[in-house]
Amino acid sequence: MELFASIVGGLLIGGLYVAISLGFSVAFGVLDVVDLAVGMWVVMGAYAAVVVQDWLDVDPLLLLPLYFLFFALVGAVLAPLIYRVRNNRYAMPALMGLALTFGFATIFRGSLLTGFGYTPRTVRTGLANTSWNIFGLVLPAERVAGFLTAAVLTLAFAWFLYFTRSGLAVRAVAQSKENAGLMGVDVKRTSTLIYALYTGLTAMCGAVMGAIYAMTPELGPRYTLFAFFVVVLAGLGSIWGVLVTGLLLGVLQSLVSTFWSADYTLLVVFLSLFVVLLLLPNGIGNRRSVA
Amino acid sequence: MSAPIRRRKTSSLIVLGIVALALLTMPFWAGSYNLRLATNVLLWVGLALSWNVVCGYAGYISFGHIAFFGIGAYVTAILMQPGVGWNFFATLPVGAVVAAVIALAVGFPTLRLRGAYFAIATWAMAEGVRELATVASITGGSGGLVLPVKSDDTFFYWCMLAATAGAYLVCFLLLERSRFGYKVKAVRDNEPAARAQGINANLVKNQAFILSAVIPAVLGGINAYWITFINPDSSLNTILTDQLVVMVLVGGLGHIWGPVIGGTVLYLAQQQFVVLFGDSTAYIVLVGALVVLVVLFLPDGLVSLLPGSRRLNLIRRFIRPRATTTTGSS
Amino acid sequence: MDALAIEDVRKSFGGVQALQGITFSVAPQEIVGVIGPNGSGKSTLFNVLTGALKPDSGRVLLNGKDITRWPAYRIARSGLGRTFQIPALFENMTVLENLLTASVEHNWDGVHERASAVIELLELQRVAAEPARSLSGGQQRLLELGRVLMREPDLVLLDEVAAGVHPNLRKLMLDVIRAKREAGTTFLVIEHDMELTGEICDRIIVMDAGEVVAKGTFEEISSDAHVMEAYLGVSVE
Ligand SMILES: Nc1ncnc2c1ncn2[C@@H]1O[C@H](COP(=O)(O)OP(=O)(O)OP(=O)(O)O)[C@@H](O)[C@H]1O
Ligand SMILES: [Mg+2]
Repeated sequence: MELFASIVGGLLIGGLYVAISLGFSVAFGVLDVVDLAVGMWVVMGAYAAVVVQDWLDVDPLLLLPLYFLFFALVGAVLAPLIYRVRNNRYAMPALMGLALTFGFATIFRGSLLTGFGYTPRTVRTGLANTSWNIFGLVLPAERVAGFLTAAVLTLAFAWFLYFTRSGLAVRAVAQSKENAGLMGVDVKRTSTLIYALYTGLTAMCGAVMGAIYAMTPELGPRYTLFAFFVVVLAGLGSIWGVLVTGLLLGVLQSLVSTFWSADYTLLVVFLSLFVVLLLLPNGIGNRRSVA
Repeated sequence: MSAPIRRRKTSSLIVLGIVALALLTMPFWAGSYNLRLATNVLLWVGLALSWNVVCGYAGYISFGHIAFFGIGAYVTAILMQPGVGWNFFATLPVGAVVAAVIALAVGFPTLRLRGAYFAIATWAMAEGVRELATVASITGGSGGLVLPVKSDDTFFYWCMLAATAGAYLVCFLLLERSRFGYKVKAVRDNEPAARAQGINANLVKNQAFILSAVIPAVLGGINAYWITFINPDSSLNTILTDQLVVMVLVGGLGHIWGPVIGGTVLYLAQQQFVVLFGDSTAYIVLVGALVVLVVLFLPDGLVSLLPGSRRLNLIRRFIRPRATTTTGSS
Repeated sequence: MDALAIEDVRKSFGGVQALQGITFSVAPQEIVGVIGPNGSGKSTLFNVLTGALKPDSGRVLLNGKDITRWPAYRIARSGLGRTFQIPALFENMTVLENLLTASVEHNWDGVHERASAVIELLELQRVAAEPARSLSGGQQRLLELGRVLMREPDLVLLDEVAAGVHPNLRKLMLDVIRAKREAGTTFLVIEHDMELTGEICDRIIVMDAGEVVAKGTFEEISSDAHVMEAYLGVSVE
């Protein structure tokens, strides 16, 4: 029973990893730049919720759409810079794009550290310390709420990708920039749109994550690593892979901390990453051979 | 060879001579604060150089480079514990070999794949090594290890100078003055084309990665003995890798002088910042802003401001069109 | 012994059968043209021969030696040189360095002299010290050819190396190819320009949809109305 509860708990967290990694993966496909700031978007979402709870007298999770709007706006401002670096005649454009997002992440981290210090902060919601009994399992309410939020966001994002015209443009650009450009897709606008969506989405997930785990600005790189982990293991560009790997990551983390020690979670996560890279060099979602 | 190139060579030789003279006489005229500062600059320059080998020359980003630094530090610390009692100098090659073996273990499966896989694998390696050092008993857990004390700053200055200068020389000869350099750069620029020239791309990439892993291991060993106390937070913190990245980018990626300039300028700037404003986290914001500005406006780094660099030539040509562009140097 | 022998080579990409059993051989010092409509599998065949892609089945013999499934660099070292249809240069290295790199795995002696000679031959003096990424499309193809010249391989595969090159330099390219052949090199040439093909090729292989549909001299092929119309889209009166 403990095993089952641990797996379910892991799946609930895994849902959030899926939502974060999905946006990250699609943004990577479209912009062709690995966004090293992904973890900072998570952390900043959480801190936005912290600010709200400090200043306003409302449950911070009720204002999720506000965080989305705010961070989508920030993303929309930054995206053209990334696009510019990636598409100029730089010596190593992909690398420089990476460096640029690294610079963003560093600015965010420094600002948060300067504003809030190293002390961990938690997003306090009305759901804290409540648990819900679902099919005989007693589950912490904020985890369930987090999972539901993640599920809704993931579905909305998938709907956008597969059932809207802009989503089609996004997928076309992710497949081939040249061809999409030739077909009249405005690659730059599409990039900005997807980056804004992804930053908004990730910040929302971050706010929810902040209700489950305490946050510090130093945790940014860790969430970046998790997103990276999921996307790479999924096989770059594979949406199903992201779904499976994200949930697996949550379960793995949960199992190790239940049955061994939370100290070892990272070690096990990294070792398993390694083993998978050795055995399935193209990731879980892709079975094609190495080109 | 045309005259301007020869003149440029002479002037850079003069600069090199002055720098070498200053470095070699430093302990005799610099105060102890400045000497320690110089030792740290040398350390960071050496680390940045090693990162430049794998990233700037081989084109693969290593996010876990600090692991090799930590591995070197721990090997030296463990072997110098009372009861083991190795000679300091004997521990350095051991650290280098351990780092090389780990680099091969990480590089062999992942350097065949796209850069993103390597980036994540090295990052995971660094976090894994750090976690391991935090939980294992031989490394003293999160408490770390204390080394025998040798308070002789001049000794460590010489060690650091020898290590960094040696690393520089080796990298310069291998990457800029030998066929190996062409191979590495060719693989970086276009792997299929490199293979079509008969270059064994996987081998070359692993060689470059091992070279770049051995250097921080040696520096880590020296540093550990110098600071006499190491723990996972100080020696295996992935934030340190970030600093390396920034130093190389700001200095100039894939350029042999990039790490020297970036490492020196940034380390001194950071120290100056601490002197001026105290140990504030605001400097992190500045570092980030610096990276963004460099990427946007000076993508070839500070080296592109040096006289005779390609970028400046372009600007000059633009100012004085059609001056001397017809003779190709070959 | 044949310089190159291809035996029933097959390759598919998912559902696309790019090569469906290709068999032919090339004699030493021959210049053989490979023609066919877009997507007929010509470049794929080159990629299989050079080891850039592994064939699903079949054998490739280079000078009688079975090189099937060898890694690309070993095939290159055993004397095969190629150009890429989409120029694959070392973008951040200068033109000169690109040429030097081509010699890095063998014949390094006198490399600077030979590189200067190649630069002069291909009229690349003006850009010799520029990074390859700043070259024009035609210059990129010249540099592709230059790398092959530096390597001096026994068998050269040229994938549309003359496309987009100025007529004068194109003529120069043909002269170079002929001279190399006299010196003992074998060529396999993909080319869409029928005139050019007719000018230098001893023999022509026509491919369509991953199969060899006709072989013969230029005269035989061009007098075969069926092949010309059906596969090459040239109307014959
Ligand atoms: N790496 C690949 N992955 C998937 N399909 C491929 C790949 N390379 C080639 N193909 C497919 O194989 C077929 C043959 O392509 P190939 O490039 O060999 O044609 P080609 O004869 O060289 O054409 P062209 O004259 O346009 O250069 C095409 O349908 C192409 O889409
Ligand atoms: Mg082709």
